[in-house]
Amino acid sequence: MDAGGVGGAGDGCFEKMETEEERTELLRDRFRLSVISIADAEAKKLGMQVAEPVVACIADLAFKFTEQLAKDVELFAYHAGRKSVNVKDVILSAHRNDHLTSLLRSFSQELRDKEPKTERKRKKSSEKGETSVPS
Amino acid sequence: MDATFDPDLIHAIFKMVWSRRAERNEEIDVVDVEVGAGTSKKSRPTTANPSALRVSCELLRLFVTEAIERTAIIAEAEGINKIEPTQLERILPQLLLDF
Repeated sequence: MDAGGVGGAGDGCFEKMETEEERTELLRDRFRLSVISIADAEAKKLGMQVAEPVVACIADLAFKFTEQLAKDVELFAYHAGRKSVNVKDVILSAHRNDHLTSLLRSFSQELRDKEPKTERKRKKSSEKGETSVPS
Repeated sequence: MDATFDPDLIHAIFKMVWSRRAERNEEIDVVDVEVGAGTSKKSRPTTANPSALRVSCELLRLFVTEAIERTAIIAEAEGINKIEPTQLERILPQLLLDF
């Protein structure tokens, strides 16, 4: 079904752009489905209905927001001399809004609290690089 | 349990954006022969740790729920129970400023 798959590079540039667009569209569709379920759940909680164009619009905006977020956190990590984006980078991206920042901070704190103790110990002594999880 | 985004989906979108940027940087680097050690950092792909992805999912979830909550408030004030584009229009500027 799709173009330019297995064999040689062929035309290179044009084919690459085409599959990249397809990939983007696929991600956008999956993303929209997630937005629909989150938006519907929230509206239900509030006893409201949402018109479809509204959800579609929110989905498009959220997707653009995600792309912008990707750029921002990449820049922050790079600025800190890192290749890998961490939680602090994400929280920093919300710096213009104090309330949002504190919400994200508590969320990340909860995540840390939920982590099993053994994982945290492993993180502290990170030499061996074992991948097996103790049961 | 609250519905939220799938970290893998968000990761895939991030990777797409990062590889787009890396390609653009590569094109620029070809022209700029002088720059030495600095460029090698950019050519290796950016990654994200799992917790960062989960917090990103939360951030995006908050964006969607805020949008719904704010439009719902307006709709309720107008005495209707369906959120329409007009309500969205009204809350959009502040929403975008807040995120």
